[in-house]
Amino acid sequence: MAFRLSQIDFTADGRRIERAREVAANELTIGRDSACDIHLADLAVEPRHVGLREVGGKLEITALGTLGFTLDGASRSEALVDPASGGELRLGAARIGIGRADDGTVLLRIEASSGASAPTDPLEDKRGFSLASVLPGRRLAGWVMALAILLGFLAFPVVSHLTRAPQGHVMGDKSWNPGPLSRGHHQLAGRCESCHVRPFEAVKNETCSGCHKQIHDHAAPARLASARADAGPGEAALWGIAHLFGKQGPGACVDCHVEHKGGTGSPAESQALCADCHVGLKNRLPDTKLGDAGDFGTLHPELLVSVVTNADSGAHARLPASQHPREDNGLSFSHKVHLDARGGVARMAMELGSGAGYGKPLGCANCHHQADDGVRFTKLDMAKDCEACHSLAYDRVGTTVRKLRHGDVAQMFADLSVAGPRHPVVTGRQRPGAYADGQPYAAHFATPMPSPGAAALGKNGICGECHTATIRNGHPAVRPVFEPKRYYQNGWFDHSAHKDSKCEDCHAARTSNSAADVLIPPLANCRQCHLGETAPASSNKVPSTCAMCHVYHESALPPPGRKAARPKA
Amino acid sequence: MSARNAAPGTSTHESFLRHGNFRWAKTAGGIALFALVGYLFFRVPPRPYGGTWFGYTLGSIGAGLIVWLTLLGIRKRRINPGNWSLKAWTSAHVYLGLALVVVATLHSGFHFGLNVHTLAYALTLLVVLSGVFGVAVYATLPKALAASREELTQPQMIDALRAIDRQLDEAAQPLSHDDAEWVVVSLAEQPLKDGLRARLAGAPRRSPTRVALAMLGERDRDGPRQRVAALLARRLTQLERIRHQQRLRALLEVWLYIHVPATVALLAALSAHVISEFYYW
Amino acid sequence: MADRYRIAIVGSGPAGLSAAARAAALGISHVLLEKTDHLSDTIFKYQKGKHVMATPATLVLRSDLSFAAGKREAILGTWDSESAGAKVHVQYHAEVAKIEGTKGDFTLHLRKGEPIRAEAVILAIGTQGNPNLMRCAGADQPHVQYQLDDPGEYIDEHITVVGTGDAGIENALGLAADPKQGNVVTVLNRGVDFAKAKPANVKLLNEAASNGRITIRTETTPAEVRGNELLLDTRDGQETIRCDRIIARMGSAAPRAFVESCGIEFTSPDREAFPILSPAFETTTPGIHVIGALAGYPLIKHCMNQGYDVVEFLNGNTSLKPADEPVLADKFAPLPGRRSVDEWLELFGSRVEIFRELSSLQLRELMLDCDVRSYAAGDAVFNRNEPGSSLFCIAEGSVKVEVNPTDPSITVPIGQGSIFGEVGLISGRRRGATVRAAEPAIVVELSRNAALKLITSVPAAGRAVTRISIERQLLQIFGSGLTPADIAELVAGAEVQDVRAGKVLLQEGDTGTDLFIIRRGSMIVEKELGGRPVFLSYVPAGFYVGEMAAIDGSPRSATVKAAIRSEVIRVPGDAFVRLLDAKPQLRQKAMADMEKRREINSFIESRKENFGSAVDLYSETAQFLIDNGLGEATDVLLIDEGLCVGCDNCERACADAHEGLSRLNREAGKSYAHLHVPTSCRHCEHPHCMADCPPNAIRRGQDGEVVISDACIGCGNCQRNCPYGVIRMDSVPPPKPSLVSWLLFGQGPGPGEPSKYWRKKNDTGADQPKKAIKCDMCSGIDGGPSCVRACPTGAAIRVAPEAFLSVARLGGQK
Repeated sequence: MAFRLSQIDFTADGRRIERAREVAANELTIGRDSACDIHLADLAVEPRHVGLREVGGKLEITALGTLGFTLDGASRSEALVDPASGGELRLGAARIGIGRADDGTVLLRIEASSGASAPTDPLEDKRGFSLASVLPGRRLAGWVMALAILLGFLAFPVVSHLTRAPQGHVMGDKSWNPGPLSRGHHQLAGRCESCHVRPFEAVKNETCSGCHKQIHDHAAPARLASARADAGPGEAALWGIAHLFGKQGPGACVDCHVEHKGGTGSPAESQALCADCHVGLKNRLPDTKLGDAGDFGTLHPELLVSVVTNADSGAHARLPASQHPREDNGLSFSHKVHLDARGGVARMAMELGSGAGYGKPLGCANCHHQADDGVRFTKLDMAKDCEACHSLAYDRVGTTVRKLRHGDVAQMFADLSVAGPRHPVVTGRQRPGAYADGQPYAAHFATPMPSPGAAALGKNGICGECHTATIRNGHPAVRPVFEPKRYYQNGWFDHSAHKDSKCEDCHAARTSNSAADVLIPPLANCRQCHLGETAPASSNKVPSTCAMCHVYHESALPPPGRKAARPKA
Repeated sequence: MSARNAAPGTSTHESFLRHGNFRWAKTAGGIALFALVGYLFFRVPPRPYGGTWFGYTLGSIGAGLIVWLTLLGIRKRRINPGNWSLKAWTSAHVYLGLALVVVATLHSGFHFGLNVHTLAYALTLLVVLSGVFGVAVYATLPKALAASREELTQPQMIDALRAIDRQLDEAAQPLSHDDAEWVVVSLAEQPLKDGLRARLAGAPRRSPTRVALAMLGERDRDGPRQRVAALLARRLTQLERIRHQQRLRALLEVWLYIHVPATVALLAALSAHVISEFYYW
Repeated sequence: MADRYRIAIVGSGPAGLSAAARAAALGISHVLLEKTDHLSDTIFKYQKGKHVMATPATLVLRSDLSFAAGKREAILGTWDSESAGAKVHVQYHAEVAKIEGTKGDFTLHLRKGEPIRAEAVILAIGTQGNPNLMRCAGADQPHVQYQLDDPGEYIDEHITVVGTGDAGIENALGLAADPKQGNVVTVLNRGVDFAKAKPANVKLLNEAASNGRITIRTETTPAEVRGNELLLDTRDGQETIRCDRIIARMGSAAPRAFVESCGIEFTSPDREAFPILSPAFETTTPGIHVIGALAGYPLIKHCMNQGYDVVEFLNGNTSLKPADEPVLADKFAPLPGRRSVDEWLELFGSRVEIFRELSSLQLRELMLDCDVRSYAAGDAVFNRNEPGSSLFCIAEGSVKVEVNPTDPSITVPIGQGSIFGEVGLISGRRRGATVRAAEPAIVVELSRNAALKLITSVPAAGRAVTRISIERQLLQIFGSGLTPADIAELVAGAEVQDVRAGKVLLQEGDTGTDLFIIRRGSMIVEKELGGRPVFLSYVPAGFYVGEMAAIDGSPRSATVKAAIRSEVIRVPGDAFVRLLDAKPQLRQKAMADMEKRREINSFIESRKENFGSAVDLYSETAQFLIDNGLGEATDVLLIDEGLCVGCDNCERACADAHEGLSRLNREAGKSYAHLHVPTSCRHCEHPHCMADCPPNAIRRGQDGEVVISDACIGCGNCQRNCPYGVIRMDSVPPPKPSLVSWLLFGQGPGPGEPSKYWRKKNDTGADQPKKAIKCDMCSGIDGGPSCVRACPTGAAIRVAPEAFLSVARLGGQK
């Protein structure tokens, strides 16, 4: 009884070596121990691993140690194989093919494929040291990130922008928003397309005026252009490029109203913004009426007060505040008399007593009442502000006191004409007959008197005190009275901002005898507290930008932050 | 001998950091200074940002720098044709890269937010920071790298290990199965299979080989076990040398795995930034 | 058989085969006698698949058989089919034992079979001859073989290799190469050492023996061959070893004996001599012609051409010009005075001193490796500091040498028939002076190898060169205004000495006034300081040492020893002194040089005080560099380990600059004090690789770099000869996809040398022979060495030793 063993091996250059030998025995042992019939130099194999025995033409395989073996892929501890049909025995790395040779002896093909002597490539070994052998490639990572960014932050918004419905919403362009929108525009956040209408086209003025309808130009664009100080080289170059791409400006909305910077969206109130043009404006724009202005403290024209120069015609004029301008407002009034603490007016006020809201010598506030916004003053009201002293009563019937109606001359004549002392002309017994009252011969015999209405309009008449009588279309009347709301045309003055200072500080009322005095202080007066933007902290003056009093856009709007409405001119 | 002309300059090594007497350091410094002065000088209301003409200037400089700096990746791999030295490029790469931080930051005008523009900026910083790390290791590690080789090449180290393994395999043949198991475990330990963390950590406290050595070491003084133990000890030292080398290589390379992908991402973010900027102009 | 052949051709190698083919083509009755059962036995015995080269490329092939470089099998196949097609009449198993008779009626006796009669005989039996047979008993058994075609086909055999030549050693190595084959190989060596073999082979053999793959038995001879045993005579008695196979490579008996038995005379008795031949290859025995290797032409093309030619001659075609005629004609065409090739050869042979003793055939062959140029008066033949190692001979006119670099007007004439450029030839250094034609001149330029071959093969030429070179060297060194007459005495007294590496030439403190001129190699100058030798300087060839003593009679001020094997000219000091006395301006010059050295010495001394450690470090470093071959280098790659980050960009750049194979191994090589000398060519002054290159493919390039041309046949000699292991044998890998496609999509292996795996996967299948590759300093690439330019950190530089090994570095370091 014999086995034929054929050891199969391969040389480095892949040549197949087959070594055959006969073992005359009916039992075989396979293992790592060199004493075994089939010696497998493989540490995964037990010193004595399996035994082979031929029983009745079949091959009995039994595990000699604790470890089993693998037969045709199945792990066993013992098995019976028919060599004719064959099988493959696996021990560690070794493969043992079981078969029967032509002459009937059992044939075992032993292939101890030890991976150890695989040809090695120094280049590969070297690579093994570098991280390239263990980390995912940089190329992959790069691609993934790059594509993710390009898709998410570029392709997606662009596509959504190009393919959106006419009024549709662009998606994914939040990531393009460089910063928060201004307060005024906050509701537009996330609707970029409402301003950025067409791709690669700068935001246009037309787009802005689409919403901001009643914004007026600061001046005619042509004049603006010529007024604008010429830009520096860098600026000019940039504009050159910008214009190539159809960007508007300079002077376009977006040039001043820089968006995505939060805040008000209006340019900061820096006087430079104005100074750019208004310093040396005369040179660039000879026909302008405006004086050059650059800094309130140093370069600013005298304030102009607009006053009525003729109450009858209502003619206006703007006069420099510094040159004691006089106005004709149709009244005759002396602030001096009213404010004199020792005068009769003061006494009168005290007698009226605090119950009537007086009780002290008169102050400005007794007659001039600040409007609710505190910016300006309400219209003077005869009834409220004067009548306490200047009574219009002319008759009394029982307890009823009859008053003239202020502001209606015709009514006044009517009222007074029926008034007069009511003592009977005929006294005693009633005459009989036709001489009795209401009879044809009855008559009144009273002394003749001038018309009381005319008297009232007279120099010392109740009206004449403040008004001047005149004749209008044949009827007696008084000259029209003007009480201007604003003296400044371009500037804005805010009394509320000056609460702390007393009226006299600016308005020389106590010395004014005539209603013609315009009590608007000159520029110098303002400069006592106000200097330009760059006012040094040391001179404890208020640094005042242009925007404090002026507004860029000619419009119904007050400067930013002012509420009061300006009357239509 | 009269004609001996010794030119020290030609024969001394000059590192990429001090290349050409810091030519590029100076250039970069100049650019950064220009950016800074310009930033402080060209004040535009309401506050500086990338949209002012100087902002655009910085932006263009920055973009140009980024693209140029990226080209090093191609440059270092295509030495020919052309007469130029990669050292000079590296030097410029390092210093201009640092200058880029200044330029980019000022270009941003310190407006940051959750948007693609800030993303690009962040990536720029990431790239530069990783690069700085790279420069640091390049400046400090090389000597150690060379010393740890002990004049062995890396393939030689691996070959040595393989040789030891073969001998181990032989020497362990007579061992009992249990003992052989330890050897098998030890042989399974192949430093080239280490992952990133393992490589950065260097030689582990208790490696399988060390354990195997402990298990087989102290037993009987003679016999095959002793031989195996000796081999295991040799294997251990070899492993440590390889791992040390690996660790240094890892340190010298790992930053590139941030630097390079981040750069690619940066290029994408940059183009997204520029295009979107003008798409919504 | 009565009929008699017109021509009998013995040997069916390329020569014989070609001759037979010619005869067949001309319809001449002929017989080709081949002792084996196949054609062209020598080539047949090449190992399987060997790539056969067709060199020299310049030579035109003139034969009825085609031949081009290719695999052994292909070539043999073509020849078989073509000779069959040409109706060549071959007779196999016909080994000629003896040739009798005279012109017109020769009888060739065969070892077996009928004798053959022929009018003329062509011997084309080559030099292989017959292998020496084992004499011992039982040597006729089948398992004793005299050649080994395929070492891989034997497994688990005990094989004994007899013979210690290269053939034997290579067979032994092949058999033991793969342990899997399980062969037990024993090499028998009659003597104790392997004198006959190439040193490189011996080294390999000893390695194999030391790690037990091969057993070497010295002083052992086979006594008797038994079944599977071999009885050996060893120094101490007989011994039996198991032996399943015997490979006997005991050389072969050169066919000379047989040739001489035919009455043919040789030029000289020594072994390398060739038969005396007429221009028509006819020997001293009329009617018998010798061609091919036996006639001294080992290259296949030569052989085939001669086969053709000789038959033409026999056919009465006397006007036939050699095949190389057109090549030479081209060479000579531009020359003035339209002479024929023969006239030119005649002119050169008669006029040029060192050509006098050459036969016309030798001269022809020599001319093939030469350039002939004509110069108008004033044209520069070469310029100072140009690299160049060729030798020039003046065939007509004269030239003048500008000995003074500063003032070109000072010249030394060299007359017709003399030579110049020999310094470059001998020292391998750049040209020392500019040479211009003094009048219209015709100059022959011998390539270095041609010149060396000439010097060795023609003693007289060698002597002439030596004498002239010494004289010139003296003139060149002492320069200004000296005439050969002035230095005649020195020349007479001068002798050439060989100094092996490390040998001390001058010992510090010794007395002695002799002056040494370094002719080749280089010296290092050391000074004993504080008991330690301090490296002073490095003296390359072309300079002289020891003149101080000669001038002021003081003892030697420093020690001079050879950095590498060098050659010096010893000049007697007294004669030199007399010369100085005669020539004051020469004395001044010498004094000036002396001052320079004194300065260096004192410089070192002073430094020694300040920072001795630096000096030590410096001189140790210098020593290290010398040990690593800088001594003979002209340009070497140095890596500063303080800067190298191991990115291997240098290797990649190298590979990409040279069809994907790196000539540089950054890590390999020695280091000292953070200075690393990687494995890369040093471009030695006398490249060891040039020593033994069959196709003469290794040359010095334009900038002094040593390059291997495409003529390389991949024999691997240079690789074995290079002491620095910088030459590798490899085949060109398949082309890679473009860099961009790799960068973007990762196509291909990326920059640098592709891995074996990738190469195998992308093999184009084209036959890519392995060739020797080495650093060529990126010649032809502007910007110079890619490795240096590709270093991102500035760690890699290339330096010339003069620049590096100079004391000035000390200043540089501080």
